[in-house]
Amino acid sequence: MNKKNLIVAVLLLVVLGFAGVWYFIFYRPTHHVRDIAGESAIVVSAKDIVKEFQTNESQANTKYLNKVAEITGEVVEAKKDQTGKPTVTLKSDDAFSNVFVTLRGDKQLEVKGGSTITIRGVVTGFLSDVVINDGIVTKE
Amino acid sequence: MIKKIFLIGLLLVIVNIGLFAQKVYSTKVGQIKFFSTTATEDIDAVNNQVDSKMTDKGQVMFALLIKGFVFENEMMQEHFNGKDYMQSDKFPKAEFKGVITNMTTVNFAKDGAYPIMATGDLMIRGISKKQSAAGLIIIEKGKIKSKSTFKIKLKDYGITGKDIGSVISNDIKITVEAKYE
Repeated sequence: MNKKNLIVAVLLLVVLGFAGVWYFIFYRPTHHVRDIAGESAIVVSAKDIVKEFQTNESQANTKYLNKVAEITGEVVEAKKDQTGKPTVTLKSDDAFSNVFVTLRGDKQLEVKGGSTITIRGVVTGFLSDVVINDGIVTKE
Repeated sequence: MIKKIFLIGLLLVIVNIGLFAQKVYSTKVGQIKFFSTTATEDIDAVNNQVDSKMTDKGQVMFALLIKGFVFENEMMQEHFNGKDYMQSDKFPKAEFKGVITNMTTVNFAKDGAYPIMATGDLMIRGISKKQSAAGLIIIEKGKIKSKSTFKIKLKDYGITGKDIGSVISNDIKITVEAKYE
């Protein structure tokens, strides 16, 4: 009887082990979606984040790269990228350097000239703009 | 007399501006993909936030952020950005700056697919190398698009993770497609 229990327990462990490996190696990496809305975010204005990257890019990289930022700014334009995903540009104090955001989903923003919105997204770095990917609009 | 000289001078300035004026085409949402294939695994990722500028005289640049590459598999994305491969915390950008050597063969006023050759410096992971790539400039109803496919060797850019040569191929295929405004 005890021996039988032991065999059952071992079998169960093996099955659980396989399930765990399957889940963490095969299932989760291709199905997990980063919880942009739920993650703690660095709250900043579009003007300030551009200034931080312009003043000291490596310091700003350390602070922001791959983190979720919650950015508020005035909308300059809303467009679509080559795959049809919506993009939005938030204004800074420098006309040549803004915050460029690619949003999730396919909803095109209804942008009123000069309206102010808040987005959340992952900071990927600084080209001519501060670039944000995987964005969601939290306040229109 | 003075007036005449002034007028001729003015005319020369205008002609010069006309001769040297160049059109700049740009986009912030160009697409760059890469593809690695081995017997074990195919790996691909795409970046849809590529900054590119091109002049009608043939000057061209592409810039992208390594963290902007999106993989189907999150674990691959983490490894790609990590210390064994791209070290994107330390080297967040990649960039190509160069010239299209036969831009004079492109007629921007006429629809068509024009074969071009680009040559310049490709900087990845802080290492800059000469790179040439064949491609196309496609003109369609006044819209301009650039396309190119070329291969790079990972070891040229100091990328030497242990899976290269087995799971990851030594040569990576890069595909560029940018629609300009």
